[in-house]
Parts: sequence; structure tokens; C-alpha cells
Amino acid sequence: MNEQNKTLCNEEELFRFVDNDQFTSEKITAPRYSYWKSVFRVFFRKKINIMVIAFLVLILLVSFIMPIYWPYDQMENVTNSAVYNLSPKVAMQRFGGFSFKWLLGSGGLGNSILYGIVSSSRISLLLAVICAAINMTIGILMGALWGYSKKVDAVMLVIYNIVANVPYILLISVLVYIIGSGFWSFVFALTITGWLPIAYFFRTQVMIIRDREYSLASRCLGTPVSRVITKNILPFLTSVIVTLLASELPSYISMEVFLSFIGIGLSANVPSLGRMISQGQGAFLTYPWEFWPPVAVASAITIILYVLGQNLADASDPRTHM
Amino acid sequence: MESNEKKVVLSIRNLDVVFGRGKKAFKAVDNVSFDIYEGETLSLVGESGSGKTTIGRAIVRINPCSAGEIYYKGKKISGKLSRKDDRDVIRKIQMIFQDPAASLNERATIEYIISEGLYNFHLYKDEKERIAKIEKVVRDVGLLQEHLTRYPHEFSGGQRQRVGLARSIVMEPEFIVADEPISALDVSIRAQVLNLLKKFQVERGLTYLFIAHDLSIVRFISDRIVVIYKGRIMEIAPTEELFQYPLHPYTKSLISAIPIPDPMIEKEKTLFVYSPSMHDYSVEKPELVDLGNGHLVFGSPAEIENYKKIRFAGQN
Repeated sequence: MNEQNKTLCNEEELFRFVDNDQFTSEKITAPRYSYWKSVFRVFFRKKINIMVIAFLVLILLVSFIMPIYWPYDQMENVTNSAVYNLSPKVAMQRFGGFSFKWLLGSGGLGNSILYGIVSSSRISLLLAVICAAINMTIGILMGALWGYSKKVDAVMLVIYNIVANVPYILLISVLVYIIGSGFWSFVFALTITGWLPIAYFFRTQVMIIRDREYSLASRCLGTPVSRVITKNILPFLTSVIVTLLASELPSYISMEVFLSFIGIGLSANVPSLGRMISQGQGAFLTYPWEFWPPVAVASAITIILYVLGQNLADASDPRTHM
Repeated sequence: MESNEKKVVLSIRNLDVVFGRGKKAFKAVDNVSFDIYEGETLSLVGESGSGKTTIGRAIVRINPCSAGEIYYKGKKISGKLSRKDDRDVIRKIQMIFQDPAASLNERATIEYIISEGLYNFHLYKDEKERIAKIEKVVRDVGLLQEHLTRYPHEFSGGQRQRVGLARSIVMEPEFIVADEPISALDVSIRAQVLNLLKKFQVERGLTYLFIAHDLSIVRFISDRIVVIYKGRIMEIAPTEELFQYPLHPYTKSLISAIPIPDPMIEKEKTLFVYSPSMHDYSVEKPELVDLGNGHLVFGSPAEIENYKKIRFAGQN
């Protein structure tokens, strides 16, 4: 046994000395990490996300391109009361055979339900995106400042407590009564205080990160507040922001639908899903084609946005990137 | 403690730091005064919660002082400062943090983390110079250029701590508060970081305030040691003086707690346990008294007499 060991050790050609290079031990062999690449890799791993995105693209294309070629006019047949409230079958007979326009019948003023829904979804989507963009931007920036500075906190808490105790619906209805009910006044009504709860939510999130050690380190390096917010705080809140966006976007569509339904939403000349539903609800037993299609489309858009947002939020959490 | 050849860089006078207000107020640092000389390493040792980190943070002004002053090169840096002075102090006094995992921004590349201070003070003429500066400092701390585009979570603890060190060093500071820079590290990595600290001190004439609770490491790195207990200074002495003549019972207990790398002796060792009830301060109030040789001890006049006897026994 001993003999054998000796011969093994003597085989010097099997071993050779290697210089100890300090820097080779520092090398990282793992592939480079990129945050956004990982987000999309995780996101597209789920098949449902591809489906949902396809649906969303379809809705966007249809609702934004179709009205350009086939404009919707609520009042085109208003003088002809014979074409009011026609079922799809009757409407198509009436307007000379199969046509896309009358696929869902006609409404209470002889308007095309299908064209109405398409134009309305465009308005609803625009409204949701614009309101969410304004509210989220102001909310996040104000929330970051609110959470970061103790002086701002004292002032903002008072403002928040006053405004948050006024019922939101009441505030919006009063505003709509005062400034009218056009598209932009509606946006104004939804955004004037809409950012406050978002900012309040972010205040708490920011407070958690503000006193972490790397933020203290930035303070020791003399980093200005604006850069601490954009570099130290907001990147950590990406997944929180996406999650919030996922619930905010559909909520504006529901809000518009609800407000138009109770009669204080967009004005009558702006086609909107909420208005169509409220017009159709009175007769949804007698003329169901005027009620169910807009309800279905409003629900579909809300659900698609919600699923998309939730899955994107999951993917943007770096803990899922492994 | 006036010394002709040594220049005082930082001096703390009667510093109090109080957290909370009213009944809930907690005095973390109580009437602390000491000086730090240029080019030396002064260590603050004490148990958890004794206020070491609080003093360090008061110097970099993360924690406001409740009373007392801090002077940097004769200029008061506690309280409100003009914007110019404020930026000046930030540049010259840097801090190294305890937890290398928590003190680096996980969503920023190493390049940004190291350049952060350079951006803030615009310490470069053009992009080229900034890149050159960070590449040099990265090499100085033993990392590779290719690390610059990576994120902190890809690094080991020792590497991260060196990134933290590079981030401070690139600012070309004069004074560094090192808040337990190695206590979160693997034992095998500790020496690496300590040697880097020493290397920078020799190369750049840096002054360190080294906060630690491990006396064996403190003995290796520091010139003088301040022993602190419950926010009060118990003893200040040059390193070897303190290890040879620990006078205050609290210092004795700390030294007796150092593990001995011999299981036979370690087993037999009797620990010296400190309790504040050892002192009787009902009649005479204690204070920090200089015994000579730069050795200061906290005690009542009677205790001081006793300490003097022990210290100079057999010498006179």
C-alpha cells in the first residue's frame, strides 16, 4: 500500500505548480444580469400573457383604427324613428342585407351599436391611460417627496386628512356639475385629487426605504434628494408601481362606467361605454342587444388590463427572476 | 493630553446624543469627549448598544447632536452649517458601513455606486477622467474592471465591502469613520479588508475612527483605543498601554473575553464579569481623569487613586 502511494506521488508529470493570481479569484463567471431583460423573460414564460397581450393589441387596433374609416355618428338616423331599437336581424334586413355596421343591431336613436362600442372603448381606454398617467406621475413624485421629507410630511398629512374625508364620488359629481362634463373636464375631475391616495401609499413605501443603510450611505456621499429618489428609491418600487398601475388602469374604466351609469359622467355627445350601458339598462329585457355587448366589452377590457398588470407586476419582482 | 508633535484632526467635546423626546428619551451617548490625531487609527470599542455607532454617525451627521460640539480641524461641524462648509465636510469625512449587503444600492451598477460621490461633487473634468478615476480605485481595492457593469448582489461579502471602501476612497477623504467594517465578513476575508484599510492609510495619510467590538482586531489596527460603556467613555489609552494595564473593570472584562486559541487554556480561563454595581458613586462623582502616558480612566477620586497605584506599581 505504502509502496503504491509512493509511486503515485512520484509521478510528477501528473501535477504541476500553478501561480496564485489574486485577480483570477475575483472573476465572476455568471452571465451579466439585466433587470428589464429578466422581467420580460419571466413575463413571457407564461402562455396566458401572450394571449392577453394579443387580445389587448386587437382591442387597441380595432378601437383606434376602425373609427377613422367608419366614423360613429349617434345622430345619423335620429330623424327616422322607424329604425330605433332594431334587433341585429331586423336592422340588417332594413339596411340592405348583411353589414358589419348592424351586426349588433341599432340603439335607441337608430345608432349602430357596434360602431358605438368601438368608439366608446377608444374613449374609455384613452381616459384610463391619461388619468392613470397623470395620477401615477404626480402621485409617485409627490409620494416620494412626502415620504422623504419630514417637513413635507407634516403639511401633506393635514391636506390628505381633509381631502380623503370628502367622499370621492361627491367631489367628482360636484366638480362635473361646476366645470361641465366634457372629456377633459372629466379627466380633470378624476385627477385633481386622484393622485392623493396614490401619493399616500407611496409615502409609506418610501419611508421603508429611506432609512435603509444604502440611503444613509448616499447621504454621507452628499447625494441630492432628487437623485436619491430616482436612483435609490424608485428602482426598488418598480414592482410596486406596476402592481398599482395594474389596479389603477381598470379602475378608471369602471369609474367612468359607474359615473356615466348614475348620470354624472361624460356628456351625451361623447360616446362612452358607461353611457351606452346606462342607455341600454332601461330596456335590457326588451332590447338586450343594446345592453349586453357594452357590458361584455367593458368587463373584457378591465379583466385584460388587470391580468396583464398583475402578471407584469409579478415579473417585475426580482425575486421571481431566479 | 496636549501634544506638540501630533495635530488634532477631529475633536469631540461633551457630546450627547438623545433619541426620542420627553419620557421616552434615551441617552445613547453621554458627555463624550475625545480627540483624534492626524494619521492615527482610533478605535471605539464596547458592547452592542453602547453608542459606538451613534458617535460615528454623529460625526458624519446622520444623527444630530443633542448637546456638545464636534470640531474638524478647529471648525465646528455639528449643528447648522453653511452650504459650502457642509459640502466640504461631506467630502472630507467619509464613512464605511457595517453591512456590505445593506449598504450598496442593489439596483445600481458598481460603476454608479463608486461614481456617486464624484457626480455629487463633480470631481472630474470629463467622462474620461471619471472613468480613469473609478478604474484606478477599483484596481486599488483588488477588484476587476469588468466588475463595473455588474450589480452588488453578484459579489461576495468581501468584494462588496471593498466596493464600499472604493466608494469612500475615490472621494479622496481625509478622515474615515469605519463602522464595524469587518464584523459582517467571513473570518478569512477580514484580513484582506483590514490590510486594504492600512494600505490606504499609509499611502494617503488617512485618519480612521474604527468602530469595533472585537478587541483582537482592534489591537492589530489601532493606535489608540476608546472603551465605551452605555454611552460613557470608560477608558482611553494607547493600544499596548491598554492591553498591558487595563485599569477600568469594564476594560478588564472585555480583555478577559478575548478567546485564546488554545482549548486547554481557554477551558481553564475565568471570565471577569463587569457590573456597574462595582462602583460606589453615591458620595463622589466620577469623571474622566488623565493618569499620564495618554491613559485616561473614568472613576471617582478614590478609584483614580487606586488605579494610579496599580498602574505605576513597581515603577517608582
